[in-house]
Order: sequence, then C-alpha cells, then structure tokens
Amino acid sequence: MGKSDKEELEVGESAPARAWLMGVVGWLCPGFGHLLQGKWLRALLLGGAVWICFLTGLWMGGHLFIVKGDEQSSALLQLPPMIANLGSGLLYIFCWSMGVGFSDDLINAARPTYEYGNTFLLVAGLLNYLAMLDAFDISAGRKS
Amino acid sequence: MRHFLVMTAFAGLAAVVFGIVAKDSKKERIVYGLKVFAEFLVIGLALGWILYFIPF
Repeated sequence: MGKSDKEELEVGESAPARAWLMGVVGWLCPGFGHLLQGKWLRALLLGGAVWICFLTGLWMGGHLFIVKGDEQSSALLQLPPMIANLGSGLLYIFCWSMGVGFSDDLINAARPTYEYGNTFLLVAGLLNYLAMLDAFDISAGRKS
Repeated sequence: MRHFLVMTAFAGLAAVVFGIVAKDSKKERIVYGLKVFAEFLVIGLALGWILYFIPF
C-alpha cells in the first residue's frame, strides 16, 4: 500500500459529524439528506422514488412488519422485513404511530396487489438506505 | 397487464435510485439507470415465462 493510499484511507475513515447528521436526516426523511446539501435534483429523484414507492405500497394494501412479542416462533422471521421497512424512517414511524399498514387485515390480504404492496414497502426502505449512504458519502467528501 | 405495469413502475423507481447512487457522471447515471430498468423488465418477463411452464 502506497503513501497516498494510506492517506486516502485515513481521510476516508474520519467522517465529520455533519456527514452523520446528513445520513440520519436522509434516513428519517427520504430526500432531505441531499436537499440540505443543495443537491436539489438528486433529492427530488431519490426522495421522490422512495416516497412514491412507499405510498404506492400502502395504496396497494401492503403490510408493514414489526416484531411482536406474542408470536415467539415467528418473531425472528419478522425481523429482516422489519429492518427493511424501518429504512423508510419517519414514514414507517408515522404509520406505526397511526396504526396504518400494520393490521393483519384479511380483506387487504385477499387483494391481488397485496404482495406487490409488501414488496414496494420493503423496497422503499431498502432504497432509502442507499439514498442515506449516498447523502453520507457526499457530505463526507467521498462522492461529488 | 396490471402486473406488467406494476413491475414497470417498480423497475423504474429502483432504476432511478440505482442509477444516481452507483455512478458519478450524468451520462453514466442515465445509461446505468436505463440498463437496470431493462434488466428488471427482461429478467422479470423471463422468470415469469419459466415459472409458467413449471407445473408445481
């Protein structure tokens, strides 16, 4: 490893507090991590994609996952999709506080778009994790 | 038809994010985004037809 590589690695390891802040803001509110850094177009596209994905998922009757203590056998199975859903940040927390999308509704489950809705909700969270990391990298100076 | 539209919407949204996050220049982003979009559609259709012929 050359000297410049070592210097680059050291610079890369010490991300400023601002970068962490941008990452957290980007996670909490999709698109805002880029918006606060003046990346309007990127904020609109990334945030828009996540918001549309999430809202479309809810509209199609998708189900948001949460680990419940009463179902011990399936609690671990609920954890990975919950982590994916949690990527939507405040959208997930708002739905959780309002009780939207969490009920095991048989009418919703019978809809032909139910599984699509689940997938859209999961992917919205996962895409927002990518957007969050992008906002972090831009603020840390690792990306333009 | 509705399934295809939903798959197209899904591919479009994912391609936008992948394109922006993965590449650095504007041209690379557009090309990569279109490539991801096409891959989602083609692979989705191919898998759909493969599964159609599997009887179980």
